[in-house]
Amino acid sequence: MAWEKFNPTLGAHDLVQDLKWDVNLREEFKRNEAGVLDRYKLLPDERKAIEARDFRKLYDLGMHPYLGGQLSRFIWGNDAGKGAIEASKNLVASLQGQPREPDKS
Amino acid sequence: MAEIVFAAGAPHAPAIVGLIDRAPEDAQKVVKNTYAAISKGLRDARPDVVIMFANDHLANSRISAYPDFLIGMADKHTGPHEWFQEWIGCREYEAKGNPEVAKALFRGMTQRGIRMNANEENLKFDDNISVPVVLTDLDKTNITLVPVLQNCTVPPFPDPQRCYDVGKALADFIKKDLPADMRVALFGSGGLSHEPGGARYFKIDEEFDQKFLSLCAKGDHKALLREITLERLEEAGMGGTAEVLSWFPVMAAIGELPGDSFGYTGWTSFRCGVGGVVWDLNANNKR
Repeated sequence: MAWEKFNPTLGAHDLVQDLKWDVNLREEFKRNEAGVLDRYKLLPDERKAIEARDFRKLYDLGMHPYLGGQLSRFIWGNDAGKGAIEASKNLVASLQGQPREPDKS
Repeated sequence: MAEIVFAAGAPHAPAIVGLIDRAPEDAQKVVKNTYAAISKGLRDARPDVVIMFANDHLANSRISAYPDFLIGMADKHTGPHEWFQEWIGCREYEAKGNPEVAKALFRGMTQRGIRMNANEENLKFDDNISVPVVLTDLDKTNITLVPVLQNCTVPPFPDPQRCYDVGKALADFIKKDLPADMRVALFGSGGLSHEPGGARYFKIDEEFDQKFLSLCAKGDHKALLREITLERLEEAGMGGTAEVLSWFPVMAAIGELPGDSFGYTGWTSFRCGVGGVVWDLNANNKR
């Protein structure tokens, strides 16, 4: 992605910010992701890309990569030793069009 | 006239805390030597306050209202913010704030045409402030902290020349606005090359890093402003490498002085090039 694609109006940006700042929302996202996504003004393609873990598509739509990286950690793990590494690998696999590791969540 | 008594720049990659025990010996050595030198230099300089510039990784503001510089005016700074703690793998801390200097900075930079924002609440710190604080044990000293969280990643962000101009205004502020006997340390936290969240997450641009460190250690500001362009920063890692812009206000404030570097590592699992510089503020007296 180049900055030319960056779209500051995407609803996914606010989703990631709120997940960072609200531990209850984070727990709800794990239990009922669709219910959380319903509350954000996401483009149809943006929502599909989140549900499909298609970060390439999200970045093509203009998602900020730093927030994309954080979204991957909400999905796959955030701890320094393991989860965050798995999240990084799956994120990069998606961006490079490769299959990711089987979902362990 | 207050005095700048210490100045350094160093990365804050979370893995230099969380994965340090897994790193090869030579990579560990670079991290430990760099932060040991910073830690010692900081203590030896006996500053009253350290003004720390560091990239805000979108931890405090929405993209729709994103400040270029956000001053932390709280009387104490605790961290890391809850969600980042397991990610960094670092201990909690409570560093002493300095609301008077923070307010003076806000006022002084505004008067000098530099738009900064300020917040009296405890800012949300991730690796940006947390890593330098815990690796120097700053919270265990009497040195107060004024964090300035900088926009290095949400475009359009301040370019190298603008960050340099901020540093010139900062020098004037320290000289004219702070109490005459105050001792001030400056720290630029961020870089080196990395691309967080990008397709090149595990790529490090060693050529860029070595060049940048070399120019910083030489104090060659003309070359830095000529060669460290936004284009080159993005080429070396989009959305991450530009964190080195937090070193520019520090360098501009102290002037073209040389410094010491303590090695370099591009160990992939750090997901960031690592190396730092402590500038020699007495270099002109030795010439």
